[in-house]
Amino acid sequence: MNENGKAWLSRKKIILSLIGIPVLVVGWWAFRPEKLFINQKVSEAAPVSLSSEPEALYTGKLAGNAHQTSGRATIYKSSDGKKYLRLTDFMTSNGPDVHVLLVRAEDKALEQEIVKGDLDHVELGALKGNQGDQNYDLPATADLNQYQAVVIYCERFHAIFGVARLEKF
Amino acid sequence: MIRTIKASLAFAALTGAFLLQAPLHAQDGMKQDAMKKDKMQDDKMTHEGMAKTLLTGKFHGKVHATSGRATVYQEADGKLVLRLTNFKTSNGPDVHVILVATMDAGDDANFLKSNTERLELGKLKGNEGDQNYEIPAGTDLMKFRTVSVYCERFNANFGAAPLEKF
Repeated sequence: MNENGKAWLSRKKIILSLIGIPVLVVGWWAFRPEKLFINQKVSEAAPVSLSSEPEALYTGKLAGNAHQTSGRATIYKSSDGKKYLRLTDFMTSNGPDVHVLLVRAEDKALEQEIVKGDLDHVELGALKGNQGDQNYDLPATADLNQYQAVVIYCERFHAIFGVARLEKF
Repeated sequence: MIRTIKASLAFAALTGAFLLQAPLHAQDGMKQDAMKKDKMQDDKMTHEGMAKTLLTGKFHGKVHATSGRATVYQEADGKLVLRLTNFKTSNGPDVHVILVATMDAGDDANFLKSNTERLELGKLKGNEGDQNYEIPAGTDLMKFRTVSVYCERFNANFGAAPLEKF
């Protein structure tokens, strides 16, 4: 009787391990739980023909406030270290005394059409055209950590034509 | 005789003055017109390069936090390259980078619908860091608008980046 019981127990163990081990192995293969803790880091260089290109640092899409405005604003660093803003597929309405500014992205004034008071900004120049691709040099002192939005701004009427909030490229 | 010369000189001066003014008036008129007319600008890149940036988008992912940027470049020889930068996702089994024929893969749809068309770009090279993937020639980038980091084994979408025109 005792002998019989023991035999039965060991048979149960064998069956259990016959089923259990493959289940564990398949489970491990499927889920690879150790990968949760192991990172695989790579650092490939940019494609060859890009290495001599100006490097895009920030980019954002323009949206209109007072006037319909669209396109993309990108800040590049050229190979000589100079930074510039480039507007592409750009379109806004024409107007008097329109300028391109860098402003603080968290500025509440950006949600309005007309700015009351002064806008903390870095001047990039008069808008060259209300349509088309255009470049604006950034002053060497412009702090891109603080000024993370581009504004198309009519100085005469304090009107915000459009805003692009910049994100890291 | 002198009188005729004087008179004709005066007449010439008047005519000249009038002719000079006319373009000025015309210019004023044009300035006012500028309010209505579009002014087109066509600056080139400061160093006109050979490679072009075509599309870009940011990764989002809920179930497996995924972040970074996906950008499609066209190299000088016409080859298309997908480049992931500042990229981070969770590690996992059998993870691939694919293009999906949708505008965006929703976060809630953690699992891709089986009927969405996919284009394999290769196994994910690493779950962190910058990496490049070749896009097959002739790929219709108007159709495949989303990059997905995709676990083939579980049909799970780790994260997706909808591509927008750069």
